[in-house]
Amino acid sequence: MSSDSSNTSPANQAIGTMRRPPLSRNIDVSTLVDADKGLIDRSIYTNEEIYGQEMRRIFARNWLFLAHTSQFQKPGDFFTTFMGEDPVLVAMDKQKNIRAYLNSCRHRGVRLCRADEGRTKMFTCTYHGWSFDLAGALQSVPNQDAYPEDFQKENWGLIEVPSLAVYKGLIFGSWDPDAEPLEETLGDMRYYMDAMLDRDPEGTEVVGGVMKWQLEGNWKLAAEQFATDWYHVNMSHASALMVLSPTGKGPKPEVVATPGRQYLSPKGHGAGFPTHPKSRFDAAPVHEYYDYDALRERLGDERVEGPLTTGHATVFPSFSYLPVNGSIRVWHPKGPDKMEVWAWILVDKSMPQEVKDAQRLYNLRTFGPSGIFEADDGENWSEVQAISHGFVTNSVPLNFQMGVGSEREDGVYPGTTSELYSDAAGRSFYRHWATQMNTPAWHETQHKTAEDQAESDQ
Amino acid sequence: MAPPNNTAPADAAGSAEAVDTSFEQSGELVDAELAYRVQQFYFLEAELLDDGRYADWLDIFDDDLFYWAPLRTNRLRRQAALSIGAEGEAAYFDETRDSLAWRIRRYDSGMAWAEDPPSRTRHLISNITARWKSQNELLVRSAFLVYRNRLQTETDLYSGGRTDQVRITDDGGFRISRREILFDANVLQAKNLSTFF
Repeated sequence: MSSDSSNTSPANQAIGTMRRPPLSRNIDVSTLVDADKGLIDRSIYTNEEIYGQEMRRIFARNWLFLAHTSQFQKPGDFFTTFMGEDPVLVAMDKQKNIRAYLNSCRHRGVRLCRADEGRTKMFTCTYHGWSFDLAGALQSVPNQDAYPEDFQKENWGLIEVPSLAVYKGLIFGSWDPDAEPLEETLGDMRYYMDAMLDRDPEGTEVVGGVMKWQLEGNWKLAAEQFATDWYHVNMSHASALMVLSPTGKGPKPEVVATPGRQYLSPKGHGAGFPTHPKSRFDAAPVHEYYDYDALRERLGDERVEGPLTTGHATVFPSFSYLPVNGSIRVWHPKGPDKMEVWAWILVDKSMPQEVKDAQRLYNLRTFGPSGIFEADDGENWSEVQAISHGFVTNSVPLNFQMGVGSEREDGVYPGTTSELYSDAAGRSFYRHWATQMNTPAWHETQHKTAEDQAESDQ
Repeated sequence: MAPPNNTAPADAAGSAEAVDTSFEQSGELVDAELAYRVQQFYFLEAELLDDGRYADWLDIFDDDLFYWAPLRTNRLRRQAALSIGAEGEAAYFDETRDSLAWRIRRYDSGMAWAEDPPSRTRHLISNITARWKSQNELLVRSAFLVYRNRLQTETDLYSGGRTDQVRITDDGGFRISRREILFDANVLQAKNLSTFF
């Protein structure tokens, strides 16, 4: 973070002359990612210093998913989450604006709100009793008389997430006060996201409850897989495909060899989807509910036959979704070796209750901690991570070469696409990751002398 | 496709709360002989799970089973009533007998990698209380501590409680028609739930 907190709302003006000397060095990661040849060095999943640099240059910089707008109905509704490892409190203020704050008391830093969600008028710290209102302003300080005369409550409001934006119900926040507009960052990715978010003119909502679980595995293993990896489906999920298939014996060869496309964004997002009409794994009541003619009119034939069939996607860096399962999730980093998954169930607002129920049950039985697909994904990630600290193991690069050179504009789907079975979006995910890791973030370039910069980049 | 969710859970959900007040033993603990039989029933269930005999395990449930494990959230004290997820919300399990059978079939495919090689589990069941609910139904609460050891050193502990609605069959056996599982966890400290509780 910058030394003087000027990244925050007017409630949080600079305090005194506090400044931080460089506490960490920045590692040049350009030789750890070869996005052209499709090679990734395993240290990016295990190294503590690289992880720290990710906190500074990936998570403190990018638009990160916070919550869904349907979680906030009335002033005072709040939800607590994380941006990277920073605890964040998302709340609806009196004017019904959704705002987000660092969930840490400005006094001695205790986590201010310890509930996962709820409704309140005021957030009162349980340590010394400083109270903050829904606009983040410090309202009361016990024994305030004992503070010097120049102590002013308006200087000690909550640190606000300066950039907040909503895309079709999804709330994203960024610590960068001059963040590029969310819609620009998403770019063509919006076309693919809309296959999930814009099926219903009324939009989407989340079912109550967020499934949360921790597992061994670097956060990128999951984010990258959801961006680029249809390839694993037939092997990793063989047992799930078997019980889901009408014959009980698994999908037919022509379904396995399904054609499809994979979108890759220069900003690290990725989405893959089959374009075979029978390659779909949706809940029967949901499938029967949809009026496909209306969807074709609304979203276009190509989108209904592609991104809407089934598929996977990641919005860089750590938000992923599965359109037909109605799963939206965040991979919270918890150290290089661990991630915490938070998964919501998304449904269309206009769906009748029984269709919402069908979508919810299909979601939690396929994905989520007891889901028949999820379990096998988690096993893979934790097994990659479990052996990654072996010195020799760690020094052998991983292969991301599927579909090298296949990236092109296909004339149907927006942006650059590759084949369904391809690592192209993975390569672009890591290319973007490396670029950001090697580029000072907003908090490094503001209020810093050239000398500081030279020292921290050495 | 044959999705497992043709039956909405509400259809299968018995009501653990609806106690027959005209039944005079309602709410009373069962006698020692019945308590012993209930206890053995639960210990045998644990054996089936630890032996991986899931298809046999399924037979302890009635056809209209509602098997449910809601999420647990941290709430402000005045909103503590909301700390256990409601029916119809996201859940760890929200199952019918059919959907459990479907999950079990996956293990028999030989390709369920998350349990291949299989984990070692020990279901420890205790704190069993059995109360009369109606003429031929019991309300049984129990606690569990499930230890899982996987591959070399991977270890998980699942702690929780269960509230079961248990029917006494004509031959004096038991069938569970509703099971509510409360894990003592907010963020699940395990990479998956690939055993049953």
